[in-house]
Amino acid sequence: MSSETATMTVANAPSHRASRIDRFLMQGGIVITFLVVAVVATALIEPRFLNRLNLLNVMRNFALLLIPSLAQMLVMTAGGFDLSVGAVVAATSVVTAAVMLVGSGYFPGMELVVILASLVIALGVGALVGLVNAGLVATFSLSPFMVTLAMMSVLMGIALYFTQGIPIYGVADSFIANVGRGQFLGLPIVLWIGLAVLAACIVMQRFTSLGRHIYAVGSDQRSARLSGVSTGRTLLVAYMLAGLLAALTGFLMTSRLGSGQSTIGGTLALETIAAAVIGGVSLRGGVGRAELVALAALFLSVIANAMNLVQVDSKYQTLVLGAVLIISLAIERLLLRKRQS
Amino acid sequence: MSMEAKTQPMARLSGLSLMDVLRVARLPIAIVVVLMLFGLVEPRVLSLGNFRNIALQTSYLAIFAMAQTMVLLTRGFDLSLGYTVSLVSVAASMAMVAMGGGDASILYGVGAALLVAGVIGLANGVLIAGIGINPLVTTLGMANIVLAFASTISGGFPVTGLPKGLTAEFAQRSPLSIPMPIWIAALVFVLLFLVLKATRFGRSLYIIGANPRAAVAAGIRTVPVLVAAYTLCALLAALGALLLTARTGSGEPNLGGNLTLEAIAAAVVGGVRLSGGEGGVGAAVLGALFVTVLSNGMNLVQIDGYLQQICLGVIIIVSLIVNRDDARR
Repeated sequence: MSSETATMTVANAPSHRASRIDRFLMQGGIVITFLVVAVVATALIEPRFLNRLNLLNVMRNFALLLIPSLAQMLVMTAGGFDLSVGAVVAATSVVTAAVMLVGSGYFPGMELVVILASLVIALGVGALVGLVNAGLVATFSLSPFMVTLAMMSVLMGIALYFTQGIPIYGVADSFIANVGRGQFLGLPIVLWIGLAVLAACIVMQRFTSLGRHIYAVGSDQRSARLSGVSTGRTLLVAYMLAGLLAALTGFLMTSRLGSGQSTIGGTLALETIAAAVIGGVSLRGGVGRAELVALAALFLSVIANAMNLVQVDSKYQTLVLGAVLIISLAIERLLLRKRQS
Repeated sequence: MSMEAKTQPMARLSGLSLMDVLRVARLPIAIVVVLMLFGLVEPRVLSLGNFRNIALQTSYLAIFAMAQTMVLLTRGFDLSLGYTVSLVSVAASMAMVAMGGGDASILYGVGAALLVAGVIGLANGVLIAGIGINPLVTTLGMANIVLAFASTISGGFPVTGLPKGLTAEFAQRSPLSIPMPIWIAALVFVLLFLVLKATRFGRSLYIIGANPRAAVAAGIRTVPVLVAAYTLCALLAALGALLLTARTGSGEPNLGGNLTLEAIAAAVVGGVRLSGGEGGVGAAVLGALFVTVLSNGMNLVQIDGYLQQICLGVIIIVSLIVNRDDARR
């Protein structure tokens, strides 16, 4: 139980071994090891991994996992949890496609306007969900886990009710061509967007008071409040940013799939939590760095791609995901225990 | 606690004491109100046949809610419960079919169910208590591992050809005209009630949930107690899975999809506290009854299944807010 706090007192760690283990953990040793092993092993076992087209595919999938993983990280570092990420992605995918379908009827020939309108409305939905999540968590001090679990049930219900599980077609062609399949300087547009979000998160965490407040609220709400941080507002911003990022993911996924789908995002809660946790985000809040979460998301994208290449049944992919999640946490625990002895 | 709250209104018949009654009995009252409301729209809701139906449906959910309660009491969680039900249903069915599918093979099915669930529960317990990984993430990871097996070992198809005796004995038989699942759920309730109230293990669960450090200070060996709690949870899930399999008459890989959420919802609605140490199997059963009455009513007045999903989410949040006020008093 006290091992978690042990990582924080790195400065006065007693033994040499302890400080070495600390440095390994703090600098993302686990995730970097995982990533290097996965890339090397995949490249050796299946040389097709290094094909240009395959790498582009990995990058697209990476970007679409990176953005919601950063959303999960924001909430988790603030001491929360967001199981509704996948449901927001599904709901906003439906919203994006529905707005385009309706909008193109009213404004024929003005595709750009319609696309932007769908983005704005999707982001609005995401922000609203974040607002409700944060409102319930902060105002009534409810368990974020239960609130977002219930929110997931509600959102999935809404998305499925309005679509009855049928994809919404009629997405603008230029949207699919320029965003979903678009490239800039030889790299996918969605990757650029993902990297921009990553850069923004890193800057936010390191150089802004918001970043410091999120860490403070996440590590100890009481002392954060006592030292003048508005905990309610900080939680609100964290959940709303997470909702916005999930909505952005829903928007981008629609451009990839070419339709609005209420059934996507089912495993996204697990995947984003896995990326965050493997990237060293603490489940107790207060600890987590965007760049390490990005490496973890890349790692997960690489092993998913590797399993596709060697044609592992997609059902076993969830097994690997679950096992990797548990193993990475077990390694961290055991290292911390070794450090204490 | 509840005794005091009940005797107070006798002593002084003020407005406050009425509030006390409402507070203590609000869930039973809510159940009656919901029944009445649905009854206004659809009279069949209040028929004797439907009451029997509600009782039968409640018995399955109650077993899963009681299973979840065992770990919720310790500040734990079991997100793998639903998929454990799926895997147990498939594995037990395959075992029975492999042993000939006669009535004698039922024992092998039960054995396979206990083995599978025991392994899952032990693994959860060792990872959570022994190694110290967060229960949410452990059981979330375990859920996906179990799901992968449930959806692959039978090729993803239902397992048919189960012994006739399974359905006849554990779903259709009604001693004293009460269906077997209700007897079994009642037996589980009584046993768990006694375990929680009258054994060292039961008290340890509450103490660990209320204050893990105090539990260690009090000399409770938390690791074996927690491992036992997670194993018990999985074994109870297996029992429920066998009963559901008997009802459907086949091993179903999709049997437990929504059960995790429903079991947690039932426990939480009943008043089992997520921060541990509060609630019991009575709360779980009452919560299960409420959730069942609600979904039964919505089915009878033909509310869309997806809208029901929305309702479940809203109910969870409302009950979290309502139950939270208790802690403040």
